[in-house]
Amino acid sequence: MDIIESSIDTSSKEYKINFEHYKKMVIDLKKHISEAAKGGGEEKIKLHKSRNKMLARERIDSLLDPETPFMEFNSLAAHDMYKNKAPGAGIVTGIGIIHGREVVLVANDATVSGGTYYPITVKKHLRAQEIATENKLPCIYLVDSGGAFLPLQDEVFPDREHFGRIFYNQAYMSSKKIPQIAVVMGSCTAGGAYVPAMSDETVIVKGTGSIFLGGPPLVKAATGEEVTTEELGGADVHCRESGVSDHYAHDDPEAINITRNIVENLNRPEKTHLDIKKPEEPAYDIEEIYGVIQKDSRKPFDVKEIIARIVDGSKFHEFKALYGVTLVCGFARIMGYPVGILANNGVLFSESALKGSHFIEICCQRKIPIAFLQNITGFMVGRKYEAGGIAKDGAKMVSAVTCAQVPKFTVIIGGSFGAGNYGMCGRAYQPRQLWMWPNARISVMGGEQAANVLLTVKRDQLWRKGIEMTKKEERELTDPILKKYEMEGSPYYSTARIWDDGIIDPIDTRTVLGLGISASLNAPIPDWRPGVFRM
Amino acid sequence: MFVNYEHENHVYNVTVERRENQFFVVYDNNEYTVTATEVKPGQLKIEIGDRTIKCVISEGEKSKFVFIDGNIFKVNRTELTGQKKTIKKEGNLNSPISGTVVSVKSKQGDVVKKGDVILVIEAMKMEYLIRAPFDGTIEKINFREKDQIEIGQITADIKKSEDE
Repeated sequence: MDIIESSIDTSSKEYKINFEHYKKMVIDLKKHISEAAKGGGEEKIKLHKSRNKMLARERIDSLLDPETPFMEFNSLAAHDMYKNKAPGAGIVTGIGIIHGREVVLVANDATVSGGTYYPITVKKHLRAQEIATENKLPCIYLVDSGGAFLPLQDEVFPDREHFGRIFYNQAYMSSKKIPQIAVVMGSCTAGGAYVPAMSDETVIVKGTGSIFLGGPPLVKAATGEEVTTEELGGADVHCRESGVSDHYAHDDPEAINITRNIVENLNRPEKTHLDIKKPEEPAYDIEEIYGVIQKDSRKPFDVKEIIARIVDGSKFHEFKALYGVTLVCGFARIMGYPVGILANNGVLFSESALKGSHFIEICCQRKIPIAFLQNITGFMVGRKYEAGGIAKDGAKMVSAVTCAQVPKFTVIIGGSFGAGNYGMCGRAYQPRQLWMWPNARISVMGGEQAANVLLTVKRDQLWRKGIEMTKKEERELTDPILKKYEMEGSPYYSTARIWDDGIIDPIDTRTVLGLGISASLNAPIPDWRPGVFRM
Repeated sequence: MFVNYEHENHVYNVTVERRENQFFVVYDNNEYTVTATEVKPGQLKIEIGDRTIKCVISEGEKSKFVFIDGNIFKVNRTELTGQKKTIKKEGNLNSPISGTVVSVKSKQGDVVKKGDVILVIEAMKMEYLIRAPFDGTIEKINFREKDQIEIGQITADIKKSEDE
């Protein structure tokens, strides 16, 4: 394959300014992530440890094979929400490796509001289960939670994608032969009791783990019976009497050891075959991405410079290099895995959309995973383009993206606006994973455009009544809109609400995509079956 | 890191990873662990397994000459993996998009260098910079600020400098 030739001048002033600016964003990102990882703070951590319990992250660390990566999802969930009282939404999720097998881990962080479920916590738990379902990965639930966060019960309990869905997913996954394992390392009350009860195999820790539908206070209120937590739902009850749990552990480390033994005996199905080569580092320094991305987000950058710093050996076999040039398509390898790349290099025109659809078909036919590098301000607008049928060409691309059943991965490396988000496999199009770079922006349109549209509408309305808007009135209308779009377009706003799977440092993109593809190979790749394309 | 050496018209792809004075060398899918020490400038002591090789390297203008056991090897370092690179197309003066000219940075008669910004077009939330594709003198700028411009229209005429 050919190597992409870079034309970036790393000694130029522009590059250095961009680099410094980006570096700061990355430092900021890491600061936020390490803050969130502290969970409920020092006091809560102390209390937690005094009960002879390990922290959620320590449990995960010791459960995974040594020296293997843990790909964490949504570490900044609930960022700046709930008065910042739920760092990481009080739950840690991700893909890790146990006995060489990729598994999804869901660990409650009891230092955050006792591990109770805020609305975003539920969403994060469900998202981890979705990842497990799509990639056929065994699930391990490290349970330590007081159940639903009661003050917000209306946003946690009743709807389809709320608390009940957790158990629905467990039953559904089990029917699809995806192992479900629960390790009860803390409380597991009311609805939460169904997590271990619905698992294939369950471990419980004596003294700290408890499972019951109603806790001691509730029992006392209902029947007058007085019991202790341990008597009501401790390890002895469930391992010796009720049979709700299968394995008895005296402490966290023992429970972890038993869990590793369980995974060792899951039996390992064959992974989907892909033509894999030895991974190669890109020929250029990955960190140079910092300098490639323009400080001013309105200035375009050449996405091939990005591809050159992400793919193995910077080698790229470009498809239709001279046609529809605003969408770069081609084959490459990432960490040795073959991958089809679609990357924006400007606005989408009819030609670029057709090229993209064609390329997606090829990837599906060959069963090659697809990576979308999304940086898109939209499909081209204007009379000429509407008359040229850009709507139907855009629709073809959206249809191809939807029907593509090969593992899809999306990285938002710049803007994500309007229908461009759909064509480039935004969240609604179910990429296996969707990551954001810290410079990313996401909204239905740009703030300025939205403000102008609304201003025009308002002005016309008043015009009909014979009133003219003053400049001041105009500003009063547009300023709050600009502000709103500025705030809501931020990747932190997005990741807090789990519109993505996390914000990553661009230099980790290769690793993240490589791990994602590797995990995806646990599920078979179905044949290509497109819908009707409007021709 | 990847190194490619050409010796007698054959390109050898070698991957080298360094850990202090140990080198992990992959060549032709075989992995070798090599210890190398520089005895004095240009003179190396290399250990592969139980074999010790002493060699002298002298830098020529374009090639390196490696002396091992009385044999001389002339090798050239070749670019990357030696495969052809994607050819970069030269920039041109056509507008890449339909939009509005928001600023004109040069005027008739200006001497410009390759890469200098001539004008800026705004469309679809982005700014597009039209840069001089070569050194030259501006003969004419075809648009003014606030003009509408269509995709493909030529933004300016530049006379190429002769000394290139």
